[in-house]
Amino acid sequence: MISIQEKVADCLVRAGSTFREDQKNAYRKAIADETNVQSCWVMQQVLDNAIVAEDRRSPLCDDTGIPHLFLEVGKKRSVTGELLGQIKEGVAMGLRQLPGRPMAIKGDDYARIDQSGGLDEDSGALAPSPILIKPVEEDVLRLTILMLGGGPAIRGITQRVFHKHSVDVVIEEIVNRAKEGVSKLGCSPCVLAVGIGRSQFEATSLMMEAMVYGDFSKQSDFEKRITEKVNEANIGPLGLGGKHSVLATFAKIGPQRASGVRIVALRPCCCFEPRRATIEL
Amino acid sequence: MQKEIELTTPLSEESISQLKVGDVVTITGNIYTGRDAVLPKIVKASQEGTLNDLGIDLQGSVIFHTAVSPAGVGPTSSNKVEIECTFEPLSKAGVKMHLGKGAISKETVKALSEQNAVFAIIPPVTALLGSQTVEREVIAFPELGMEAFNRLKVVKYQAIIAAAKGESIYD
Repeated sequence: MISIQEKVADCLVRAGSTFREDQKNAYRKAIADETNVQSCWVMQQVLDNAIVAEDRRSPLCDDTGIPHLFLEVGKKRSVTGELLGQIKEGVAMGLRQLPGRPMAIKGDDYARIDQSGGLDEDSGALAPSPILIKPVEEDVLRLTILMLGGGPAIRGITQRVFHKHSVDVVIEEIVNRAKEGVSKLGCSPCVLAVGIGRSQFEATSLMMEAMVYGDFSKQSDFEKRITEKVNEANIGPLGLGGKHSVLATFAKIGPQRASGVRIVALRPCCCFEPRRATIEL
Repeated sequence: MQKEIELTTPLSEESISQLKVGDVVTITGNIYTGRDAVLPKIVKASQEGTLNDLGIDLQGSVIFHTAVSPAGVGPTSSNKVEIECTFEPLSKAGVKMHLGKGAISKETVKALSEQNAVFAIIPPVTALLGSQTVEREVIAFPELGMEAFNRLKVVKYQAIIAAAKGESIYD
């Protein structure tokens, strides 16, 4: 019988090394549709890389990312401290198997900020982010692991929008923020992850959920409008120009505050993200 | 797809002078790696005349802006101050190709042109690059860990010329 730790480790390796079919198809479609030869070349390289990474079960990118965990819990299932411990052990095991880039910063608060304590050579020493738990109707205990890289973290932004009672205003602000982020990101084409909520925490949680459930082949009108407007900027893969700066937008709109403000979390995910995989425990 | 120009290191003056912005090239042979932490040290060693002591020959060389870790290699942004400021002195010391990603300044584009050197960008395709890397060796400053100065032996790394002859692909 496969242990929880082994299941989690395998899930993490898949997250860091595998494109999903909808992701591969999005690239194939963009390559077929792109007229900029250099941009086509970049996207073909990214797709070829994904095929090699899947075959070798090796990292898609040398920035293997920080593990972020999303746990769906059915009504009849329970989450124990023991289970959370096993998940954490599985993450460490997976990071060693991938292998993850050794990125755990050693030392006390100050040393971790200025990086004066050096790096731990053990890939598995990298702590995952706090786990996000979501109750679901299904009778399931399902873990999704997202591997989030540093470039999109630098370019991401969580900030208020004064909506003026207009969806157009909110979309326009997201598009403006996205254009700046995408142009500076470098590793594009992007996927835009968006969460809209009542606080910074809620908006970011919704953005995480958007990355967990997002599907390149299923785009809402809201998502399509953002993607199309950002692509009008002609930034293109690696900034080389072309129609495909953004391949898709994954958005989750939560409950909203009775006021003139909306909190928007936006992450311009890099050309490999959302790197994710799911396992039932 | 564009036709590829095959390059083998060390790169000759002639092979570089034929390159223009937008060309897709393949790179085969020994290349060096370095980024923020180590490149200023290589510049200093070059200016002090101690590169030979470190076992480094920059004539006709390629420097790939990457860390080298168990996860593999992949370009970091070449326009970080501590990397971009090394383009000119390293080109004067013999580097013919700086390999990374991101737009560089007009001043750097001009400096490269004056030394008959180029900047090429390489997508962050770590798995693909892993399959095209046959050897890796730490050459200098091992105390920097994954940011040490490394030599890689590579086969047909693909890149696109982003700055050459005073022109930039980002213009």
